Parts: sequence; C-alpha cells; structure tokens
Amino acid sequence: MRERLRIALTKGRLQDKSVAMFEAAGLDCTPIHNPGRRLIHPLPNYPLDAVLAKAPDVITYVEHGVCDLGIVGKDTILEHGGSFYEVLDLGFGRCRFALAVPEGSDFYGSYQTKTIASKYPEVTKSFFRSKGMDVDIIKIEGSVELAPILGLADGIVDIVETGATLKANGLTPIETVAEVSARLIVNTASMKLYKGQIEDMIARCAKEMRNTR
Amino acid sequence: MPLKGIIMQYIPNTPEGARDRLFGECQERRRVQSALTHLFRQRGYSEMITPEEEFYDLFTMTGSALPQEEMVKIIDRSGKIVVLRPDCTTPIARVAATRLKDMVFPGRFYYNETVYRSSAAHRGQRSEIPQCGIELIGAKGVKADLEVIACACDALRACGLEQFYVELGHADIFPAFARRLSMTGEQTETMRSLVEGKNFAALSDFLDRFDRHSAAAVARLPYLFGGAEVLDEAEALAGELPALHHLRELYSGLCQAGYGEYIRFDLGMVHHIDYYTGPIFRGYAQGAGDAVLSGGRYDQLCASFGRPAQAIGFAVHVDAVADCLPTPAPAKVEQVIHYPVSRMGEAVALLDSKAPGTCQLSPCGDLESTLNMAREMGIPTVVILDENGVREVEV
Repeated sequence: MRERLRIALTKGRLQDKSVAMFEAAGLDCTPIHNPGRRLIHPLPNYPLDAVLAKAPDVITYVEHGVCDLGIVGKDTILEHGGSFYEVLDLGFGRCRFALAVPEGSDFYGSYQTKTIASKYPEVTKSFFRSKGMDVDIIKIEGSVELAPILGLADGIVDIVETGATLKANGLTPIETVAEVSARLIVNTASMKLYKGQIEDMIARCAKEMRNTR
Repeated sequence: MPLKGIIMQYIPNTPEGARDRLFGECQERRRVQSALTHLFRQRGYSEMITPEEEFYDLFTMTGSALPQEEMVKIIDRSGKIVVLRPDCTTPIARVAATRLKDMVFPGRFYYNETVYRSSAAHRGQRSEIPQCGIELIGAKGVKADLEVIACACDALRACGLEQFYVELGHADIFPAFARRLSMTGEQTETMRSLVEGKNFAALSDFLDRFDRHSAAAVARLPYLFGGAEVLDEAEALAGELPALHHLRELYSGLCQAGYGEYIRFDLGMVHHIDYYTGPIFRGYAQGAGDAVLSGGRYDQLCASFGRPAQAIGFAVHVDAVADCLPTPAPAKVEQVIHYPVSRMGEAVALLDSKAPGTCQLSPCGDLESTLNMAREMGIPTVVILDENGVREVEV
C-alpha cells in the first residue's frame, strides 16, 4: 500500500488556519512555510504531502483521487458539488451565505420575477428552488454589490462575514442561505484503501478542533 | 463562383468527454475486456448485445437510479425521445423479461459495451464509459450472491490488479437503522445523503433533534466500514438484523472459498438503495480515484417489465481498471519485406510466420525506395525476397 497521503489545502486565509491546526496537532509544517519553488511539500514528521490550490481545484484534485484529502470551504462545496466524503467541519473560516437587498426594498413584496446577482449561481439556484421561487440569476465575477446599485439586480447572494461591505453599499442581509466553514474532504476510494492513515488524520484534526473550541 | 472554391471549415477536435484511443491505449482496454469476457464465458455467462440507443422511458419508468440530466438524448424521426444507453443492466432485464419470457431461469448474461453519460463541462469526466459485466437473473439466496461476488473478485484479479478490495454493503441496513427514529420522508433522505457522504459532523448535528439513544446507532453508520469487525459493531448497535446475518453468511462463504483477503464492508453504503434490494458491492483498486466495479441485487427491475425475477449483477469500469495497469508497449516493427508482385504469396506466408506487429510488407516497387522508407520509419532490417531466395539487409 502507498506510504504517504497527499492533501490539498486551499490557498490564502484557510491555508494559514489549516497550517496552524496541523502544527497544533504536532505536524511539522516548515516545508509549507518555506516553499521555495517546490509545489509539493512533504511534511518531515508525518507521512503527508501537502499541495496548495485554489478552492475549486481542491475539490477537483480530491474528486479525481490525485489528492487523498483536502481542506476547502463549504461555500466552494455548495457551489461546485462533486462526489467525495465530507468528513469534518473544521470550525474555522466561519461566515455565511446571505441574500442581501437594497435597504428599504420589499423583496418578497411583488409577483414580479426577481433578478439576483451572485458569484455563486448554483448556491443561488438551489436556494430559490427550495423556496419554489423562480428568479433570474446573473453571474458576476467581481464586486457583486455593484449590481443592485447599477440597477441590474434586485438582490445579491454572497458571502457575508461582518456585513460592513454590504452596509457601506446600502444593502442589508435579509436571509441566511447557508452557514459556511472549512471542511475536511476525502476521496471515496482513498478512504477505503488507506483507512488507517486517513482515520488517524481525521482523529488528529478532530482533536485539535475540540481543543480550540 | 465555382463550387470547388467553397472550403468547408472542419473542426478536427473530438467533443468534450470523448477521445481517440491509439495503439497501446487500445491494447490496454482490449486486454481488460478479453480477460473479463473470457472469465464470464468460463463461468457460463452468454453475451448479449443490446442497442446503443433505447427509448428514454425505459430508464425513467423502471425506477433505475440515473438522473435525467446525465442521459444523452436524441429525438428520433417519430418525435420520440431516445437515449444513448446510460446503463447496461436495464436493457438486459428488459430482454430477459420480454423476449426471453419463456426461457427457463436462471439466465446468465454478460455484456461488453459502452455506456454514455452527459457530464458537466471541464470536470475531466468521460462521456463514453466502457463497461463489462454480468447479470444472473432468476436466482436468489446466498449461493447466487456468492457466485456473483466471487466472480467480481476473480474479474478484478483476472484483469491483473494486485491491490484491490471488494466492499460489501446491504440495501436493508440503512432503512433498519432509520426505522428506529421517527422521521419524515424528507428527513430520511437528508440523513441518507449525510451517510452517503460520510458527513460525520453534519450527521451528528442533524441527529441532535432526535432521541439520543436511537440516534447514536445511526450516527455510527458512516463509520462502519473496514473489515468484518464492523458486522459485530453493527449488531451491538442495532441487534440482530436479517441483512447483517446475510452479510455474515456471504463473508464466511467467501472466506472458505479463499476470497477473504479481498473482502471489506461498508455498512454506510447507501447509494441507490431504492433500486437495490439486497447486497450491494463496489470494487476499489490502488491507482483509481473511484470505484472500478459496482453491483448489487435488484429483485424489482424485471417485474417492471412483466416477468418478476430476482437478479444480481455487476459492471467493471474497463478504462478505470486499465488506467491502474501499466500501458503495454506496442510491438516494434523490426523488419520490412521487399518482394516482387509475382512472389506476393511467399511474402505473405513469411510475414505471417513472424511475431504479430514486428514485420510489414513494403509497398514500394524498387529496392531503393524500400530502403529509404525503412530508414525514415526507423525499421532496422529489410528482408529481400526474390528468385535467389530470402536474405536480410541491415539498413
């Protein structure tokens, strides 16, 4: 059987928190701190190799089995879907998806079909589908807050952390669409083939989560 | 303007998900297919070739588990919706229950076909999936299950895989665990998908609102995978269940027959449990990111075509298996035969005496051209066949 597992970490904010969790769990993450030109970072004191990737790519790598494990936000999982095991809510990277509308507007007040701008069209679609409501969804790549200001959309579905950006743009969150936090995901075949190693990794992360709570 | 002047723009790419397979890649796939079909024939299964296209209704009216967006659809001349076969079992059940309605069962059928799936863009998924598998129709009970599961192990072994597991589950286990909680249908489905995704944390959060004691057993369900010890734990949690007893019987039969080392369990296997009615199983091999084999017992399907018959079968995902194996190097051409037209018969006889793929006939008229061609193609030896007999020239 293969000796080392491979994990894909989401670059950026989640990366720092993931590394902090690993270190608290006793994993030496020096190679991740000093990557040099290397793309795969073997941890010296634990049979694990780490790669850093953009969030949707973490899912892609895990789904195809080229990485056994991954750490990725629930926002990306909801938007991209895929088939893998989502074994642990790591508790960090907390925020939420919210529906936000211009302050003072009555979003549910008329029968007119609403237009929603979002970076997350799939999340938006399944939210309104669960309400049995038809909406037009427009995908925006950059600052979604701009769309209602320009009159393109009646509301937005976006990640909200503090709500400050929304407020500054005259928007107000009226409904939570989903809670978001970082998740540990596992390839379905790896879970079966490397059960002992994967379980050890899950147990270490779970222990750290309990400690930090 | 003369018609000759119009140049049609032709795009030489293949559609996403489809691909050309060349040389070694073909051998790779064919080798797996021939190992499998050889085994299946040996075990008394007869081949069935069903159409590449079938009516859409065939797959939607019979409770088969495939979502409609994954089927490749065509509107035929009469306006009916036709799909490219998304699965091989349903057509075989159709034939077994209708055209073969007078056949004395059990019937043993195998197929070596391609199924078609329409998948999301840019996910690296294939739309043409070669599958090779068996269906044992009209047989129930431990012996029928054992025969098919043993065949699944032998199938993966015959392909040349060394490290693989066949993992067993049972469609009745999840309902037996779920029955202890009073839930709406919707809640049960939420719970099923959490178990399917081994979404441990979300499952235990979800179960917080139910009776703690009964919920504790369900919360363990996704953890119950691995060796036969999970059967003991399941029994400790849920008591005697017919499904657990059945799995135990299968396990002891498989161990006695020498298959024990390949067998694992996942009692949280809940994929398509509305379709399957008994044991469910999947094969995992080192090197493949997803199951390379999947199957199970489906006792309701044939009845939906008018002939009730218990059935069990599996499919091997040929390319997924082939990708785990080393690609064979295609045979290297070592010789080219130069001959006059009058000696064609001798040339062909000589060619046929060589190892396959190592020798070719030269299409050139004169020896000089043959030598040039051999040089360009990197063929080291030209065999000259003429009135003086056969001699070899190094290029």
